[in-house]
Amino acid sequence: MSIEATPRTHALGHRMKRKEDPRFLQGKGNYVDDISLPGMLHAALVRSPYPHATIKNIDISEAMKIPGVKAVITGKDLEAAGLGWLPTFHGLDKQMVLAIGKVLFQYQEVAAVFAETRAAAADGAEAVQVDYEPLPVVADPFTAKKDEILLRPDREQKTNHIYHWEVGDRAGAERALERSAKRIRQRIWFQRCHPAPLEPCGCVAQFDTMGRLQFYVTSQAPHVYRTALTIVTGIPEDRIHVISPDIGGGFGNKVPVYSGYVCAVVGALKLGRPVKWIETRTENLTSTGFARDYHMDIELGAEADGRLTALRVSTVADHGAFDAAADPTKYPAGMFGIVTGSYDVPVAHAEVDAYFTNKAPGGIAYRCSFRVTEASYAIERAMDILADELGIDAVELRRKNFIRKDQFPYPSRLGFTYDSGDYQKTLELALQTIGYDDLLKEQREKRARGELMGIGFSTFTEVVGAGPSKHFDILGIKMFDSAEIRIHPTGSGIVRAGTKSQGQGHETTWAQIVAEELGLDPQNIMVEEGDTDTAPYGLGTYASRSTPVAGAAIATAARRVREKARKIAAHLLEVGEADVEWKDYKFQVKGVPAKSVTMKEVAFAAYTNPGPNEPGLEGTNYYDPPNMTFPNGTYIAVVDVDRETGEVKVRRFLAVDDCGTVINPMIVEGQIHGGLTEGFAIAFMQEIQYDRDGNNLNTNFTDYLLPTSLETPHWETANTVTPSPHHPLGAKAVGESPNVGSPAAFVNAVIDALSPLGVRHIDMPITRDKVWRAIQSAQSVTV
Amino acid sequence: MNLQYEGREDIPADPAAVWAFVNDPEKVGHCLPEVIQVTVRDPTHFDAIVGVGLGPVRGKFTFKFELQPDETARRMNMKIAGGGLGSAVDLTAGAEIVQAGPGTTLNWSGSAVMRGPVAAVGGRVLDAQAKKLIAQTFANVRAKLSS
Repeated sequence: MSIEATPRTHALGHRMKRKEDPRFLQGKGNYVDDISLPGMLHAALVRSPYPHATIKNIDISEAMKIPGVKAVITGKDLEAAGLGWLPTFHGLDKQMVLAIGKVLFQYQEVAAVFAETRAAAADGAEAVQVDYEPLPVVADPFTAKKDEILLRPDREQKTNHIYHWEVGDRAGAERALERSAKRIRQRIWFQRCHPAPLEPCGCVAQFDTMGRLQFYVTSQAPHVYRTALTIVTGIPEDRIHVISPDIGGGFGNKVPVYSGYVCAVVGALKLGRPVKWIETRTENLTSTGFARDYHMDIELGAEADGRLTALRVSTVADHGAFDAAADPTKYPAGMFGIVTGSYDVPVAHAEVDAYFTNKAPGGIAYRCSFRVTEASYAIERAMDILADELGIDAVELRRKNFIRKDQFPYPSRLGFTYDSGDYQKTLELALQTIGYDDLLKEQREKRARGELMGIGFSTFTEVVGAGPSKHFDILGIKMFDSAEIRIHPTGSGIVRAGTKSQGQGHETTWAQIVAEELGLDPQNIMVEEGDTDTAPYGLGTYASRSTPVAGAAIATAARRVREKARKIAAHLLEVGEADVEWKDYKFQVKGVPAKSVTMKEVAFAAYTNPGPNEPGLEGTNYYDPPNMTFPNGTYIAVVDVDRETGEVKVRRFLAVDDCGTVINPMIVEGQIHGGLTEGFAIAFMQEIQYDRDGNNLNTNFTDYLLPTSLETPHWETANTVTPSPHHPLGAKAVGESPNVGSPAAFVNAVIDALSPLGVRHIDMPITRDKVWRAIQSAQSVTV
Repeated sequence: MNLQYEGREDIPADPAAVWAFVNDPEKVGHCLPEVIQVTVRDPTHFDAIVGVGLGPVRGKFTFKFELQPDETARRMNMKIAGGGLGSAVDLTAGAEIVQAGPGTTLNWSGSAVMRGPVAAVGGRVLDAQAKKLIAQTFANVRAKLSS
């Protein structure tokens, strides 16, 4: 099966091949590391091997003797220039650019070396002598909570506790849980992992002859970067030009502003030459935005028949050394309040307490939709545990508690108003497609023979499309997005948007939207993103916000173009404006379809014969979404577990998504394939581990694993379509859904396979040795 | 990563000669395997540059040594700190000098705390290599005293 779109139209819903792919497939993409400017220097960063230490001295004399090294800067140099700290995107903390006085995590940036070549810069970095005095290490948030070792004396509150956030009815949830016929509680840890985009982070900074900063950078949010650079450096915003060229994967890792970027700008200013900084894979894995690391205690209450009575979840979050989780300002725990998921829970309470530790900072990355991945995983695991305790089929329990179609728009008990959904329909399609009854029969037969086969479900709802300006901002900037469309005399055009694709296919999908609205050929609609001099201001691409927000802006801007075009059409057709209608992708005189003009004809007239109308044909929109959107899905995993070795084979995986209106089914499939592969990796093989001394143990791809084609299962996809009622196209977004929904399906399947042995839960990554130990442990108890 | 080691060398030299040897920073420094340079600062402090290969981590490490003789207990303790290639190593080592017939038994022990890329090398590889380095040092002491 494949993704099906809404009824076929002019361009929307077509499986159009991606316009950007030819250059990528031929190696002709233009990435930051392809940029080479005359006189360009290279930067390399000196990094701390200690996770927590005082810096007693930094000696750069040997580094300056290395041939080709031009300068070395330290935290003290930056501090003297007022550049020692930069605000994190969450806005309530700041982060050292280069370490000042002490280091707080292993691989933290300590100095920057600028040299003629990358090799000379690396040699220079190695020659910088740093005297450290080690300090005791806090390697987990539970130790941090005790406040025996204070990590951030620079902050006003002398504690490792960063914030407490809560939502819902604490007392009501407690009462309801106490009265419940069945109550389950489970500690679930979503492990620290890392998106590891294929292209690491990097930049080229140059001050041009007019003194303007030209800044090429791997950024998912170029306009926000421009504003942030102004705040940090004091350079007026009109004197900064940020260009994000092609980006080889972002996944949230390329949202924060990193030390290397600021150092490159400082180096370019100080030395009067362009500076390039490109990080290594180890630097990317050990110092840039990680994902997850949430320790969640979730409780569910239910009646004896399985009707949910209450949900409560209490989370300890490990944020690393700085609060650099790039959440909207009012949402320190992101969208974690979606933890009631697809279910009509009468009363709920959720809280998160975050702590500093001696680890790299971050937390918001890897297609997380701002902590939706953590929330979804918790509720979907808890539903399975509850089903098991009640002796009810996991599917039945979900069906019984789904929000019904007639309940939308649905106000959840944790503050969201879900726009639309038909969860039963999505589930039924999944059950029918996978052949659920046959699988159950097979499972019964296999269990009778002692074989371990599991079927795991995840019927998730997520929340994306940040977001309405009344609730959402990043550094105070509201989270609208924007589009500017200009149609040329010969009927082609250009759309510029405030988003920035890192592989999502915007050059194709944005063209399809414009083409659909204006009856033009999408092959002749150019899409431009990432240049702050030309693109309208936008908040960038992450958290599946592009289609819900920028996609809406593009559709709205296109309708404005169409409205102007209608006036010109009326002039051409020699009728009043009220007599012209847009039908069958052209302007027709009402009741006289033979009298019509195409958009192409109108475009030409806009420049040659506009009549009494303003010449030209363009439209702009800054779209403030009225609400988030709520995609949902039913994912089903079928696994076989080898009792002797603990090996888990994913025999089948079906993803049925409902992302509302589908712009390009092929691109949607691609997003789902990619996200499922990431979810598979997280479930079975990925973790950024720190030992108790604060050493990062997964610093390269021999220790941090990416699945290859050998391991990756075959993905089956299908979809239902429940449009969003508030989106101009009815589209909801899909980019993060597969990463949100799939880990629980995998884990639920493994636990289902092991459930005859009494295994209740295994934390991810579910490695072979963990499964083997769980089997051994269960069997020894049985014996 | 914390690692602990111990071992023993039998040296065909009398304890006084052994004691004099281990109190000499120049002599001790040149017992380090793959030593590239030894710089004596004072009677109890010296720096050494040594070549190190631990899994994928290969290069030169710079160490600062501090000798801490305990004459009463006839024990030489050593504090070693240093690193290279982004890694940091802190070692403490000690050797007890015991008369054994006409010769001397050197009972040595050491512990190492490793940080950085060195520590990310798999535990078994690191453990074996670190033990080899430390053991080789004391074997070199025996060899020099035997010649």
